[in-house]
Parts: sequence; structure tokens; C-alpha cells
Amino acid sequence: MPVLEMLGISKSFGAVKALDDVSLSVEKGSIHALVGENGAGKTTLMRILYGATAMDSGTINLNGQSAHISSSAQAISHGIGMVSQHYSIIPELTNLQNLMLGAEPGWTISNKKAASRADELATRMGFSFDWNASASTLSPAGAQKLEILKLLWRNAEIMILDEPTAMLSPADSNALFESLKQLTEAGATVVLVTHRLPEVISHCKEVTVLRGGKFVGSKPVEETNTEELAEMIVGHPLTELAPHQAVGRETARLTLQNLSAKGYRGDLAVNGLSMELYQGELLGIAGVDGNGQRELFQVLTGGLKPESGSINWDGEDITSSTIGNRIAKGFRLIPEDRHAEGVIDDWPLEENAALGLQKQPPFANGAYVDQHGRKGAAEKIAAMFNTKHGGLNNPMSSLSGGNQQRFVAGRVLFLNPQLILAFQPARGLDIDATRKLYDAIRSKCLEGACAIVVSFDLDEILIHCDRVAVMHAGHILNPPKGSEHDRQAIGRLMVGAA
Amino acid sequence: MSVKNWVLAGAGAMKLRHLLLIVAGIVSLYALLLLTNVNPGDAGHRLVKGTLGLDMVNGHLSFVSANAISGTLRETCPLLIAGIAVFIALQAGLFNIGVEGQLIVGALTCAAIALRIPGIPGIVLGTIGAVIMGAVWALPAGLIRAYRGGHEVITTIMLNSVAIYVTNGIVSGPLKDVKQESPTTPTLADSSRLPFLYNTSNAQISSGILIGLLLLVAFAFWLRRFVSGYELRAVGSNPVAAKLAGVKTAKTIVMSMVVSGGIAGLAGAVQVLGYTFRYYQDFSQGYGFNALGVALLAGSNPLGIIPAAFFFGLLTKGSSALQVLGIPKDSGFVVLGLLIIVFATIRYRKLISVTES
Repeated sequence: MPVLEMLGISKSFGAVKALDDVSLSVEKGSIHALVGENGAGKTTLMRILYGATAMDSGTINLNGQSAHISSSAQAISHGIGMVSQHYSIIPELTNLQNLMLGAEPGWTISNKKAASRADELATRMGFSFDWNASASTLSPAGAQKLEILKLLWRNAEIMILDEPTAMLSPADSNALFESLKQLTEAGATVVLVTHRLPEVISHCKEVTVLRGGKFVGSKPVEETNTEELAEMIVGHPLTELAPHQAVGRETARLTLQNLSAKGYRGDLAVNGLSMELYQGELLGIAGVDGNGQRELFQVLTGGLKPESGSINWDGEDITSSTIGNRIAKGFRLIPEDRHAEGVIDDWPLEENAALGLQKQPPFANGAYVDQHGRKGAAEKIAAMFNTKHGGLNNPMSSLSGGNQQRFVAGRVLFLNPQLILAFQPARGLDIDATRKLYDAIRSKCLEGACAIVVSFDLDEILIHCDRVAVMHAGHILNPPKGSEHDRQAIGRLMVGAA
Repeated sequence: MSVKNWVLAGAGAMKLRHLLLIVAGIVSLYALLLLTNVNPGDAGHRLVKGTLGLDMVNGHLSFVSANAISGTLRETCPLLIAGIAVFIALQAGLFNIGVEGQLIVGALTCAAIALRIPGIPGIVLGTIGAVIMGAVWALPAGLIRAYRGGHEVITTIMLNSVAIYVTNGIVSGPLKDVKQESPTTPTLADSSRLPFLYNTSNAQISSGILIGLLLLVAFAFWLRRFVSGYELRAVGSNPVAAKLAGVKTAKTIVMSMVVSGGIAGLAGAVQVLGYTFRYYQDFSQGYGFNALGVALLAGSNPLGIIPAAFFFGLLTKGSSALQVLGIPKDSGFVVLGLLIIVFATIRYRKLISVTES
């Protein structure tokens, strides 16, 4: 008997049918994957299960009995826990305080008792935490582990994880799945929302596919493969992958020499880095999170002043040139954190279209805003990657995360980009959109631009980038000759082994 | 944007929440009247007559008192201009609590200049002086915020205290009119005053209100149609994204603070040249602070400042009209305080639902 059944679930937001008669059945003690494009309804379905969103119709059965879940508190009392895409760790609190937050043992708190229970839970999972340390010191992997412990602390039996590996390195992802496996062996059940099909194939037992708010199918993982799943997800065969381009290394456009920059901890996050980027190149930088990728991008955009070294662009020293001057030269950024860095949520799409390009035609006419030109440009930007929106006057916040990312990507490629800097550009994009984005970047490169992509997803880089390098401990490492696209060799560089 | 669009935009700024607010204002006034044992019908009658100058004559609603409406506009004018000052800082994400201090420093500067230089040159130089001094008074807060991260709320409150004591000192000493008992400057000559739009023996409407309206229209246009206005709003809405978009955020913060202070100084100058014709101790009755409420009430549309300032002016004039009935004058501020709380609840309720999701 399934531990969890969701039957005939429907939910509309205004005129949009987010879920239409969707069903999900999960066996006890398994990892069940829920996959689908952006807007397929995965997160909505999970939020209904967690009591965060009310359904219009349908039933939820737990252990064969009908359950009424109308709030997260009720979901928790039924043993259901959820980790959302955006972690809810509060950096100002200690790890232990974060663990207990909202589920404190009583009116008074004994840190000693709480820490001993916390240790017990952590040991069961094979984790270890310094409970009195500030949560601000946690790595993304550490934060993810703490989120899972939070569910255990609340005695969750059914755990919903929404894109848990989006921010993790391959090694951390594998470790996470090891822990999840242990949990399921001990009787817990995991529902995993993900974009990464290799993860589904290697770690999950069953998979359910949603498309456009409808149920497409459920399969045991051993009876399917990534190609079939990808087709089920997009509803048609995928566009062919563009072949890697071998670029003649003739004109170096970007030259970094002996570049060093401080990270937020005060150490040299970029440490004597030298590299060249040639005209037409689409360079992918693989690496484990926290090896200086962020600081390298900040130095390249002009937001962080390097401690030493130089940046040359088309033969000109731009080490101390401002962000604005670099934008004028054609530097474009797809930022890591779209909300914080790339858009203004409560502004209309039309005004967001100009962000970063606000001084240049067609967005400006001298000191004036060119409203006509901006409107036309916004239309083109939205059309480039088929951003689904309800009108250019609607605020950015009315778009789903994936559609916001499409809009930001469209803006980056819109106005004569020369150096495209993309940090985890596929975040929130589905397979098809990711392919289209990389194709568009590559075609700009073929027109003479160049691009650097940072991703923590090695497969994404191996599939889409023409040249692969690894960032480790503030250095750029190049894979040995003959294994430029070799997964094993690059994986070794990522952990610092030659 | 055509004139028609401007009007439509102004009407659009008047949303449901403003209507709710006016209803809340009337209800709380009514409650206040019941508390003070005053006949609400009588009070309502006096309120309309005392603020808008409207009364029932032979069964028809007629305009009977120019004095009433001129008094309301007199209260509205400083709130309108100071409201613009607060609004511009708010658009850059800054709370300029220092408008009060910048306003009185500007007013004193203007009075000092216009008393020495007669005629139009005095008016012009006095106004320029007031704008400069207001800007200078705001500059430290802008610099500290932009380059040292010190919060402008704290620094501007401090600068307010400095402004109050310095101006009181000057008007009790070097600029004091020796013929007067209380600390005040001499009165400006007629040639050093702003012209009146309407001038009879019992009512005057100064052209100061026109200066405020023109400034507002120019400011609203700049905010929407100039790249620098766009950049300022970007800094206020998301400073990190603005910085990555190539906006010089520190410079923008300093500039918006300085412009805000300059406009506050202008509000002081208009008050001196158009209404009081002198500077005296405790010059401002909290115009700078009430302007915070005006800007908050205006929401995100600068044209919303007009109804907001008029509404505040109405309440201020209204509460003095009700004094006759034994209702304390400060009761108007009680109502204002209540309204700001109600408004904040309506407006910021959305933020909470966002964080919950």
C-alpha cells in the first residue's frame, strides 16, 4: 500500500490552471522523483501536500486513510516536511537555533539537551555539526544538510525536497543521496523535485512526470532512461545538441594576468589567476562551489577591486574601469541570484528590460528615457526565449522564476554583447530552454563575442561548452591534452587532485 | 505623455486605499467628537465651512468664505514642497527625517538675505541661498550613508537638533528684531514677498502653492523620463541590481540626499517669502515630519503628493476651525497619527503575505 496518495488534484490561480486532475502515488521507503518543465506544477503540487497552498479539488491519502491538510502545521503533525528551493536558514542564528526554530522543545530551552538530540539525529545521517557555530559559516551543502535535519527534528516521515542539489557540487550531491538512501532504508519516504535527470536515474526508485499542470506518467526508474524522460517532460523529441566548436585561438580578447582578489572572509579567493579568452570561445568553468568563482565574476564585472594583477580587454588595461564603462564595452552578466542582482521585482517588465542598458539606445536618447524604443526592445527581449508574461506593464514578480531567467537571458544577449558572463545560467530553466540559451550564447560567439559560464553542474558544462576549465582554490586549471572533455579527469581537477 | 495622461495618472494614484483612508479619517474624527461631547453635525458643518469655505445658503451649497480655503492652501503649501523633498529621498531608498531641520535652516537663510537685499533680487538670492543651505544641511547625512554606511535616519535626526538650536540662537541674537520682545527677525518689506494669486482684505492666496505644483510636475517628469531618474529609482528599489547595472550608487545616494535637502530648503524659503514674511523661533510646526506622512500616503506615484498634502492641510486647518467648539487643536494630529498607522497597515500588509509564501 502506498504511504502517500494524491488523487485528482486540481488547482487554478485565477484563469491559469496550475494543476488539472493530477495524481501521485508514493511507496513507503522509496525516493520518488517528480519531474517536469518550469510551470509544470511540481512545486504547486508539493505545496498542496505541505499545506502551504489550498487545492480546489482532490483527495490526499496517508497510509490509506484520507487526510485533511489545510496548513503547514497540520502537514507537520502528519509527518510531512518540506525543504524549499530557497533555504530558510537564518545566518544570524546558530546551527542549533536554526534546527529548533519553530519547533522548540518547550517554553524553556536547554541547549545541552537539544544539542544531544541534534547530535543523535546528525550521527544517524552521518553528518556532523558544530551546533554553537553561527549558521552564516555554513556552505551550501551544509545548509542543505541542516535543512534535512530540521525535518528529522520535526519527526518527518515523508520529506519533500525541492531541487536539493541545485547548489551542490557532484561530490556533495552524491553524499546527500547516500544520506537519503539511509533514511529511506530506515523507513522514511522522500519526494524529490528535480531538473537533473541523471540524478533520477541513479538514485530514485520511481518517477512521475508532469507537463503543463497535467499528469503525463509514472514509471519505475529501472524501466526508463534519460532520453525517454526528457521527451515525456517536453512533450516532443528534443532539439539536437549543437556540436562543440573548435575555436581557432587567434585573437585573445580577454587576458587575465596574475589576478588576485579577496573573498568576503578576507582570504584570497582568487589567487594569482591567469587565463586568456579568445574570440568566439564559449568557456565553461567547472568547479566546486566556493573556489573563487563568485569573486572572479565580481572582478570581471567591475564590482570588486582586485588586490593585484591586471585585466586586459581587446588590448586595453581595464583593471580599474567601472561597471558602467565595462557595460559600454559589451560586458553582460547573467547573475547568480536573479532576485537580488538581476531584476527589480516590483517594476514592470518594460523598465526591467532597460536595467544595465539604460544609458544606451534604444533605451535612452541622450539624457532622456526613450519610452518608445524601450517598449520595442522589451518585446524583443521577451520574445527571444519565449518568456511567458501577461503584458509588459506587469511587474517582474508576476513571472515564474524560470520565465524571469528567460527574460534576464534575453536582455543579456539583446544589445551587442561582447563578453557574456553567465553564473549558473540554467538555474530554473528546463532542458529545452537550457539548450536554446546555450545555442543563443554560442551564436553570439560565432559572431565574434566570447563567453564564460560558471556552473556547479559538471554535466551541463560538458554538454554545452566548447572549452572546459576548472576553478579550484582560486586558480584556473586546464584539463590535460586529450581529455579536454573527459568527465573523470575534470572531476579529479575539481577536488584538487592532479 | 500628454496633459490628459498626466491627469489620468493622477487619478490612478488615487486608489481604493486612499478612499479607505479618507473614510477612516472621517470615522476617527467622528469618534473624537463623540469623546469631546460635541454635536457631530455641528462640527461637520464647521469643518466644511472652515476648510473649504462651503456652506448651505437657502438650501444651496455655496462658496461663502475665501478665508477658509486660503487657510487650507496655506497649510498645504509647505507640506506639498516638503513632501516632494521626502519623496525624492524615499525613491532612492532613503528616509530623510531631516527635512524639518533643512527647512528651517533654509527659511532662516532666506529671511536673512531678503531682509538685506530688497526687491526681486532678494527674493531670488534668498531662495537660492535657502536651497543651498538645505542641501548643505543634508550633505553630511548623504556622505555618511554612501561611504560609511551610517544610517541616514540617525544622522538626520541629529542634524535636526543642531538646526533647531543654531537657528534659535541666531534669531535670538544677531538677527533678532530689537523692537520685538520675542525672538523673531524683522518683517519683510512688501517688495520682498511673493506675489499673491488672490488678494482681498480677508483672504490671500500666495503664489507659493504654484511653485510647489510646478516643482512637482517637473520632478514627476524627471523621475520617469530621465535616465538619471530611472537610475535613482533603481538604487531605491534594488541597490545591488542597480550597482551591477552600472549605476554609481554612492553618488546617486549623495545626490538624492542633497536634492532632497535643497527642496526642503526651498519649502522654508517659500514659507518665509509667501506666508510668514519673517523668521521666528520654533518656525516650523513639524512640517518636515508631517511631510513624511504626506510622502508615505502618496505611495509610489509622485502625483499622489498633491491629494496627500491637501488632505493633511485640510485636517490641520480643520482642527483649528473646530477649536471654537472646545476641541483641542492638536486633535488633528491625533487623527493624522491614526491615519498613518491605518495606511501603513493597508500598504504593508502585502509584504507579509509575500514573506509567508
